[in-house]
Amino acid sequence: MMEVSNMAGRRALKAVLIDLSGTLHVEETAVPGAQDALNRLREASVAVKFVTNTTKESKKHLLERLHRLNFDLQEEEIFTSLSAARTLLEQKRHRPLLLVEDSALQDFTGIETSEPNAVVIGLAPEQFNYQTLNKAFRLVLDGAPLIAIHKARYYKRRDGLALGPGPFVAALEYATDRNAIVVGKPEKSFFAEALSNLGCNPNEAVMIGDDARDDVGGAQNAGMLGILVRTGKYREGDERKIHPSPHLTCESFPEAVEHILKNML
Amino acid sequence: IDSGDTGIKRGFRKAQRLKASDLQLRFCTNETQAARETFVAKLQRLGFDILVSEVFSPAPAAAAVLKERGLRPHLLVYDGLLPEFDSVDQSNPNCVVIGDAAEKFTYQNLNEAFRVLTDLEKPLLFSLGQGRYYKETDGLKLDVGAYMKALEYACDLKAEVVGKPSPTFFQSVLNDMGLQPHEALMIGDDLVNDVGGAQRCGMRGVQVRTGKYRPGDETHPAVTADATVDSLARAVDALLRQRQQTP
Repeated sequence: MMEVSNMAGRRALKAVLIDLSGTLHVEETAVPGAQDALNRLREASVAVKFVTNTTKESKKHLLERLHRLNFDLQEEEIFTSLSAARTLLEQKRHRPLLLVEDSALQDFTGIETSEPNAVVIGLAPEQFNYQTLNKAFRLVLDGAPLIAIHKARYYKRRDGLALGPGPFVAALEYATDRNAIVVGKPEKSFFAEALSNLGCNPNEAVMIGDDARDDVGGAQNAGMLGILVRTGKYREGDERKIHPSPHLTCESFPEAVEHILKNML
Repeated sequence: IDSGDTGIKRGFRKAQRLKASDLQLRFCTNETQAARETFVAKLQRLGFDILVSEVFSPAPAAAAVLKERGLRPHLLVYDGLLPEFDSVDQSNPNCVVIGDAAEKFTYQNLNEAFRVLTDLEKPLLFSLGQGRYYKETDGLKLDVGAYMKALEYACDLKAEVVGKPSPTFFQSVLNDMGLQPHEALMIGDDLVNDVGGAQRCGMRGVQVRTGKYRPGDETHPAVTADATVDSLARAVDALLRQRQQTP
């Protein structure tokens, strides 16, 4: 495998993908200095896109929060794993049982959900109860495809770490002996789709995120460079859990932007 | 018994006839919603001749392991199972034990178990069985194995399974009977956990076509039962016939 980190200096960077939760903000608190750092990045000649596995919220919700926290961005610049899931449902004309938070259902308006023949799982603590999971289990056992918006193990909440959808997807995969189709990070297809309208190849893009496996590992596996930030769900030693290791591990988003502006343009 | 299939009850009654023969009889269950006393009492009320001492289930086996190893569990089990752990110190937990907690498998409870594990320097998870699902009168339901996988995935660890199909579990039953594996036969509806588990121990395994049996089991890639019979009644008939024929 190529030692990606050695190629950094001579690369023509055209796009920066930025994770949201844990990287630009943690719930209702912005990462200090992140707003200014984003503005500085926009002054350089790179395309910027915000990519997120957050499945609890629709794009509008995400945008509203980011604007409240004084981040400068538009709805079209946001690409979520919910968008990726919707695309798949439309392509295959599935009727899904949607295990997603009410606030995320907005992104599925227009999709038929009666007599479900597919199961879509996002981050939905309210739905991860015994009865609903049994319902999903029976559908998948009978042949319905299992679509996972992503398989994050956990995420950071104000009161500590909390289980992501990944463990529940793993539970259903085991019980049904079937594999889920994952549409979010760290799937290659997700990163490819995120870059598709930016007119650049993966090797001309860098991803900044707090999740070593899903953000950095996934991006690097798709041919991009990855910068791991020590905010959000980051835990000491995460950088040693992926191979190759991150192109850079730094304190937070502002430091990542400094590095890009100084060394990668 | 709870699957609603009356044929099973017939089979169970027939199994009692094994006691009259020279064959030793033990009941191996991964039942983890109720303590042994409770479900044995239920079976006795239904007319079955069965004693607690003949029953092997994961909870008492787990309690013994915990005490042996000086472990203090955070329990995520059905309330009915708690009495099996009364003699185990549960303060300041240094491990997690999950059983078939059914409706207690809420997001909050699973999250709590997850947090206990991630806060431990040496996270340790015991699962009372690893079944994928089971059948009840109102349909198929996720079993403890699915939730075990959830926590394994979340914490990036492997659980220790107490109960079928763990070899230690089958071995403890054989020890109790004073028998070698080749002298024993396991009859069950779960191809992987009953039959497969027994075979890995050196026993023979017979699958019955009731409960969680599915037709695909007869062409399973990993486990081939030594025999597949329609029901426990048939299995017992065949066994007793064989005993009579053997000089």
